[in-house]
Amino acid sequence: MDETFVSAHKKTDASGLVVRWIGYLFIGFFALCCLLPFLLVLGTSFTSESAIKLSGFNFWPKEFSTFAYKIVFENPDLIIGSYIVTIVMTIVGTTVGLLLVAMTGYALQRPDFMYRNKISFFIYFTTLFSGGLVPFYLLITQYLHLKDNYLAVLLPGLLSPFLIIMMKSFVRSIPHAITESAKIDGAGDFTIFLRLILPMTTPALATIGLFIALGYWNEWYNSMLFLSPDMKYRTLQLFLYNVITSADFVRNSAAASNVQLRDVPLESMKMATAVVATGPVILFYPFVQRYFIKGITVGAVKG
Amino acid sequence: MGIKKASGILLTFLLLFTLAACGGGNNAANNGAKTTNNAGKQDSSAPDTSKFVKVSYVVLGDKPKNGQFEKVLAKVNEIMKEKINAELEWKWVEWADWQTKYNLLLASGEAVDLITIGTDWLDTWANAQRGAFMNMDELLPKYAPETWKSIPEEDWNESRYNGKIVLIPENDYTQWVNHGFFYRGDWAKEAGLSEPIKNWEEIGQYLQYIKDNKPDVIPWDMASGAVTWGGYIQSYTDNLDLPISTGYMPVFTAQSNDEKYTVAEPIFSDLFLDYAKLMKEWADKGFWREDALNNKNDNRIALKAGLSGLDQHHTQTFSTLRVEMDKAQPGSELQMFPFNRTGGKNLMELSITHGGTSLGAHSKNPERALMAYDLIRNNEEIYHLINYGIEGVQYEIKDGKRTLPANYNEASDSFYADFWGGRMDKFEIPSETVWSEIGTLYDEYDKIKIPYPYGQFVFDKTPVESELTAISQVAGELGPAINFGKVSDPAKAVEEFRAKIKTAGYDKVKAELQKQLDAFKQKMEAAQ
Repeated sequence: MDETFVSAHKKTDASGLVVRWIGYLFIGFFALCCLLPFLLVLGTSFTSESAIKLSGFNFWPKEFSTFAYKIVFENPDLIIGSYIVTIVMTIVGTTVGLLLVAMTGYALQRPDFMYRNKISFFIYFTTLFSGGLVPFYLLITQYLHLKDNYLAVLLPGLLSPFLIIMMKSFVRSIPHAITESAKIDGAGDFTIFLRLILPMTTPALATIGLFIALGYWNEWYNSMLFLSPDMKYRTLQLFLYNVITSADFVRNSAAASNVQLRDVPLESMKMATAVVATGPVILFYPFVQRYFIKGITVGAVKG
Repeated sequence: MGIKKASGILLTFLLLFTLAACGGGNNAANNGAKTTNNAGKQDSSAPDTSKFVKVSYVVLGDKPKNGQFEKVLAKVNEIMKEKINAELEWKWVEWADWQTKYNLLLASGEAVDLITIGTDWLDTWANAQRGAFMNMDELLPKYAPETWKSIPEEDWNESRYNGKIVLIPENDYTQWVNHGFFYRGDWAKEAGLSEPIKNWEEIGQYLQYIKDNKPDVIPWDMASGAVTWGGYIQSYTDNLDLPISTGYMPVFTAQSNDEKYTVAEPIFSDLFLDYAKLMKEWADKGFWREDALNNKNDNRIALKAGLSGLDQHHTQTFSTLRVEMDKAQPGSELQMFPFNRTGGKNLMELSITHGGTSLGAHSKNPERALMAYDLIRNNEEIYHLINYGIEGVQYEIKDGKRTLPANYNEASDSFYADFWGGRMDKFEIPSETVWSEIGTLYDEYDKIKIPYPYGQFVFDKTPVESELTAISQVAGELGPAINFGKVSDPAKAVEEFRAKIKTAGYDKVKAELQKQLDAFKQKMEAAQ
């Protein structure tokens, strides 16, 4: 192992070094391209609004100001509460969602499942025709009575037809013979699923899990519809969205209704909310990066 | 197999349709029951308030988070409890996607009692058509007698859908949202323009003076969003704005107050060419930035910083901006030139149904809801609480004006209720943030104002939807260059604009608009 590594290293010494440095340069440049906009956001979020108006966005704040953060964090318990709601929602949603998607995908792919085509059709059908917003709203509020209930946000995100189809096509690559042989050895359906199928689908699970988790992390629309302001804590993205829209509204239209005006630093505030929204994901990212890479590669191969 | 599949799909559709039909039937039945219910309750004499109820009021805005609102509402509810044995519950529809949420709330059949409406911005007529509101003809005289008496018959007529009152208008509150130029009085004086400015030529002289004498100032630091074509129409014709949107620039107007049901074509009159030439002239003289089309700066901030000499917005903005300017640029004497001043025949009042309150069709306590509304609107104590908060905490009265108390802290003490459903001039306390002499401008308006004629006109754009989109596209594409004088030959640009807008289906939209205006005219004349 050691030897091969050393010899390989020696071989690349001459021309390989050039390639490697070009690679470094290229990747370095690319990383910079990704990093700079974020630094710009960070810099702007700490700039006073008047400086932004006069000289535009800057990497280094011309007039340092934390006013934007002050407004965003005006009620710290609210933003912490929203964080907790979103984090819990993401963890629970991803775990339960993954299990459900994997189970559905696997079951729909078992050749000995009689109605698999019919049920697949029902799932597929909803991707083509949906009831629309009003029936969806009525279903959640009038029939399920989930208004002002976190379940209204959690439930609709658990099973997405798109992810089920993805899972199904992945499970297709696992030969049915495995299931059959396990059955002959006396394993039940759940044992087969949990002990044999799940471990074999890890890459797919990583990809799908990433989709679900990002979905929950960025969720604001359902919470906007179903979680009314009477609830103290709502999801993070909705909270931040509200901070921005209300500031926007105060600036633009409040004059028309003779509401007392309040100076709000809109531009720097947008940036501050962006920082607040991405912050934890960035901290979290290095730890799960390796799974992401695997999952995305497999996802790419499998389509 | 094929037949099986097809029948499966058919079945699904059938199921969907029956479900939909069921929903509809249910609704109709509900409505029927409601109306008979009301009729039944009418017969009993004095309002029965023995049972304590909660009355919800849906408003638009973000719920205040500092706890002050709850304190104020508790005070309001003390009075409510004592007077009508009821309690108000404020329900907020937040600015996050409020259009969708507001309409969903009404469509879902939730039991809302009172709800803020606005015919020009909240789809009130469309919602009335869907049966979202309860008819109030019988309820009003009995349960909201003061409101009923204080609103004149012609204002009630503006509030009817299919002959039935479906909303209570905000008819006693002065709001002026007519646009105009804001210019600095001190610089206008220096420029030799002592009289209030009355036309665009004088604005041009004013800008020229700034250009020549104030090296650091951009005469008019306008940003990419600014459009003055509508203002020019108001200044140099008697045309009226119509409630039809054509994107970046108004393309259709009505002829005049005397011919308010006749479509005019400002784009095809010489006026448009004059405007294009004037803007070209102003641009060539350097009244605004070279890159004004891409300028995202805030003109108002530049004005307050003394870096711009002109701004453009409506009177309500001016009334507070003047105070801010007096602080930021002492002696600047900011003035307003309302576009309607030049001709003086087309200053329309704001529609009285720009704000208002309706009763939800599924309200469980319509009687008590109206009684509560009557109190908000006509009880001075409740009115002040809801609109201003608690005296001593949110405001103090000094020399008859509302000011902030000494120990007032914006974060912990600020209060608003977003009540735009029936404000009354008689209870309003003038605020320190509003220019004290704004009345002089209002007096000027009062002399020339005309009532808003299109409160009940809703342009149904379905027959010409694609043409309207195409027109908006053309306006957005060619309009900015003309508005900012960024064309080499105004005459050619105007010709191109006209040709493209014709191709986009201008004539068809005009015919449709005229047709609907004719129908509206008949309806209005029949009502008289």
